[in-house]
Amino acid sequence: MKNIITLFSFILIITSCDVVEGPYLIDDGGITPIDTSTNTYVKKVLIEDFTGHTCPNCPAAARELEAIHEEYGDQIIGMALHVSATFARPPTHEAPKFQYDFRTIWGANWDNFFGISDIGLPKGMVNRVGYPNDYKLGKNEWLAVVITELEKEIDFGINITTAISGGNGAITINTELLNTIDGDYNLVVCLTESNIINWQKDGTENIEDYKHNHVLRTVLTDDALSTSSTYTSGDNIPKSITINLSTLEQYNIDYSANTAEAGNGNAGGWVAENISVIAYIYDNATQEIVQVEEVHLIN
Amino acid sequence: MMKKISLTLAILCITIVSFAQNNSGEFHGDFDLNMQSYQEDELIGAKAAEEIVLNNSYLNINYTKGNFAAGLRYESYLNALLDFDDDYKGNGIMFRYATYTIDGLEVTAGNYYEQIGSGLIFRSYENKGLGQDNAMDGVRLKFSPTKGVYLKGFIGKSRTYFTYSDGVIRGADGEINLNEALNFESKTKIIVGQGFVSRFQPDINPKFELPKNVAAYSSRLNIINGGWNYSGEYATKLNDPIGSLTAEGNNYAKGSALMNSLSYSKRGFGIIAEMHRVDHMEFRSERAQEKQYIINYIPTLTKQHTYTLLALSPCATQPEGEFGTQVDIFYKIKKGSFLGGKYGTKISFNFSRINALNGGSSFLNDDTEHTPMLISIKGEELYFKDINLEIYKKINKKIKVTGVLAKQSYNKDVLEGKTPGTYGTVKSTIAIADISYKIKKGHTIRVELQELLADGGEGSWSMGLAEYTISPHWFFAVQDMYNWGNYDVKKQLHYVNINCGFLSGSNRFAIGYGKKRAGIFCVGGVCKEVPSSNGFSLTISSSF
Amino acid sequence: MRKLFLTITAIALFSTLSIAQTRTLPSVNVKTLDGGSINITELENDGNPIVISFWATWCKPCKKELNTIAEVYEDWQDETGVKVVAISIDNSRSMAKVVPYVNASDWDFEVYLDPNGDLKRAMGVSTVPHTFLLNSKKEIVWQHKGYVDGDEDELLEQIEKIAK
Repeated sequence: MKNIITLFSFILIITSCDVVEGPYLIDDGGITPIDTSTNTYVKKVLIEDFTGHTCPNCPAAARELEAIHEEYGDQIIGMALHVSATFARPPTHEAPKFQYDFRTIWGANWDNFFGISDIGLPKGMVNRVGYPNDYKLGKNEWLAVVITELEKEIDFGINITTAISGGNGAITINTELLNTIDGDYNLVVCLTESNIINWQKDGTENIEDYKHNHVLRTVLTDDALSTSSTYTSGDNIPKSITINLSTLEQYNIDYSANTAEAGNGNAGGWVAENISVIAYIYDNATQEIVQVEEVHLIN
Repeated sequence: MMKKISLTLAILCITIVSFAQNNSGEFHGDFDLNMQSYQEDELIGAKAAEEIVLNNSYLNINYTKGNFAAGLRYESYLNALLDFDDDYKGNGIMFRYATYTIDGLEVTAGNYYEQIGSGLIFRSYENKGLGQDNAMDGVRLKFSPTKGVYLKGFIGKSRTYFTYSDGVIRGADGEINLNEALNFESKTKIIVGQGFVSRFQPDINPKFELPKNVAAYSSRLNIINGGWNYSGEYATKLNDPIGSLTAEGNNYAKGSALMNSLSYSKRGFGIIAEMHRVDHMEFRSERAQEKQYIINYIPTLTKQHTYTLLALSPCATQPEGEFGTQVDIFYKIKKGSFLGGKYGTKISFNFSRINALNGGSSFLNDDTEHTPMLISIKGEELYFKDINLEIYKKINKKIKVTGVLAKQSYNKDVLEGKTPGTYGTVKSTIAIADISYKIKKGHTIRVELQELLADGGEGSWSMGLAEYTISPHWFFAVQDMYNWGNYDVKKQLHYVNINCGFLSGSNRFAIGYGKKRAGIFCVGGVCKEVPSSNGFSLTISSSF
Repeated sequence: MRKLFLTITAIALFSTLSIAQTRTLPSVNVKTLDGGSINITELENDGNPIVISFWATWCKPCKKELNTIAEVYEDWQDETGVKVVAISIDNSRSMAKVVPYVNASDWDFEVYLDPNGDLKRAMGVSTVPHTFLLNSKKEIVWQHKGYVDGDEDELLEQIEKIAK
């Protein structure tokens, strides 16, 4: 008798279910994004979306990234890396569609190092957290990681200023220390371009005028942030980089035409007005990205 | 670290064993080791493993004494064989439990495996060869209040690779064998069962309202009357959106799965017809996951083939939506009759067909609502079709022959998750002859010749296998698969493989060398799925 | 290399230690072909030997073993009184096919179902076929993995050794 009661109460306790009725969209829900126009530094998160123009499931990941950006505002910075021969190399049998080559040597190197496209696309990383065990995240896993990341304290603040005219000029990065810390950090500065209209597979359809956003174009530097591994609060570490857009563009064209990549050299046509500068700092020991910042190249 | 653990385990076990022998408790377990070396082979797409040698192994130790049982399993994947997922890495004690039965109530604390009905809403199980292990970690109670009534309840977290899910899984199941419970003798036997499972996960989504407790129910009925046997199960899963921030990503529709089977059999003859309809029934232990973390089991409604070329392109169940039917006929032509011959002839016939649901699976959110038709076969996209006939005949004391003829249709795009239009549907015709010849007492040689003529995919294949066995200890086998019909001349390759092994009691040692094609690989009586590889393999399995 | 050696030593140690102890059936429930459920320790054969063989409808060597024994089962029973119990590990994918297959094959064995592998795990079975021989006290005295033509002769020898 005692046993039956124990078991039944056990069963009753654990049974439970929720049925949510529509509308499912929370009317007053949503986050009020933090106002990032003031001078105070806030935590920003970089979502690296590994994708490809012949990857039919990839636009769904890009839409997820946009939705996260819409929800949390400028604290979310996205980067699309087109990688892998299967999903990003211009397929000769589909000509004249899908003939643009979005790939870059840095995208390929990071893909190789982190082993992303090996397990299928779309796949991404959020601030590269979880490395080396649990960092390759499907698009539905990004939200949970973004929420935890946004609550973290920041040690660095990044300030980017640009002075570009006629495709030439300088980019200046000023990294400010908000705390006194120890560590081995690297600074990466890249250029991404948005609003690139070109082919993309989306599910069973081929979209001719798909808008590709935050596509990685080039990596200007990936070096130690400073020679020492101690940083004092209030320190400022400057870095100045001179760029020439046509030289950078030509580099990508040459990379694409390289026989090893079996591309077609069709990697040019950059539009300076659509280019942004992304700078981020990562911890060399854990690969985790601790702070990131983004500005338009031409103001 | 490994040394310390082995040593500690050894000492611990010696202590337990000596204690046990004084107190009549028992101590036993089993051990399995799979090592494979990988050499690069570009032609067959075999990757070299950086570590050169990869290893999957595990050791189970169990202790039982009276009403008490406890045990643990130590697993080592350093690093896992390439057929396993990348995330399957590490070693440690991944399974430990203690069970105690008192007054008919069985309590298990720690890890356990469990299944509700056919597994449509919940199945926690393991298949080491395929890298499947979603053990539960928690508490389980089993109780039978009276004869014929079986109750169980459990709570815990589900395992995937080397971690446990975020979601907490709770479940309960009740089964009543009406004849035993109500104590009446009858030729008709009726068994009913009802199960319930729910997953709890907090809702962190700022934009959409997500259910925190996702529930699934299943009811089953089994009626047996003489040679007739009916079995049916209906399962339903309530709203289970993934939790995306986009409207298109969140599907609030109810999922359902229906399975029915009816069979009739008597001595020398058996026939069974089955159908299933699955709609949006993927059930994971964590809502945002895309791979693994699955806690239910939708059985594939096709015949499990073991001949290599028949299993070259196996059907993969689409838990999000499919409709299937299957028929099997088993017949033994009596010995002495004209067709039966001196020893009798056995015939096995199988037909299965799987197709898509009308308009795709159920979908519900603020903007769209879609429910596919209940039964829709004609005009729906074909996923898989298989019709095969197997005839077995013992010719005389020395020769036994099995012949198989089959026709298959395989929708490579859907079943392998490729972009629609890449490969289309591959049609193939397969013929197999399996002849075993007894040379003398204990020495047998078996030869298999298989031929697959295909239209599409990788083209046609031929396969030859010769296996020499010496009862009861030895086996030697040589196998060659030749892709002579591949449309890409460079891929018209031979996959040669040599294996030999030694068996004694409950110990089995096998070594092999050669190329394996990605797919199902069977040798010395064991089948498993493997990626393409080129190199040595060593298997040791033992129980004590 | 060292870890492999240590592991093998540990295994050898356990194996030798366990040879010394008796081994009985674990207390696990299996399903009967007519919808019932029994505990495997309830198996009885009046003190005569019992053979427990794990098989599946998709396992060719298993079916070969059981069909070969089926042909000579009557003789074996006359000679030794042995009872063969076939435990099917078919999961819900092929479980429904067990009854029509068993009837069509004309087997006289006792057949039980272990769809989630509970008994299989409790008895340390990793691959099928795996056959156990129990003596009059229902202790496991012999076991064998796999099946090749001719193994039934060794099984009969072992049964004869312990038959009364």
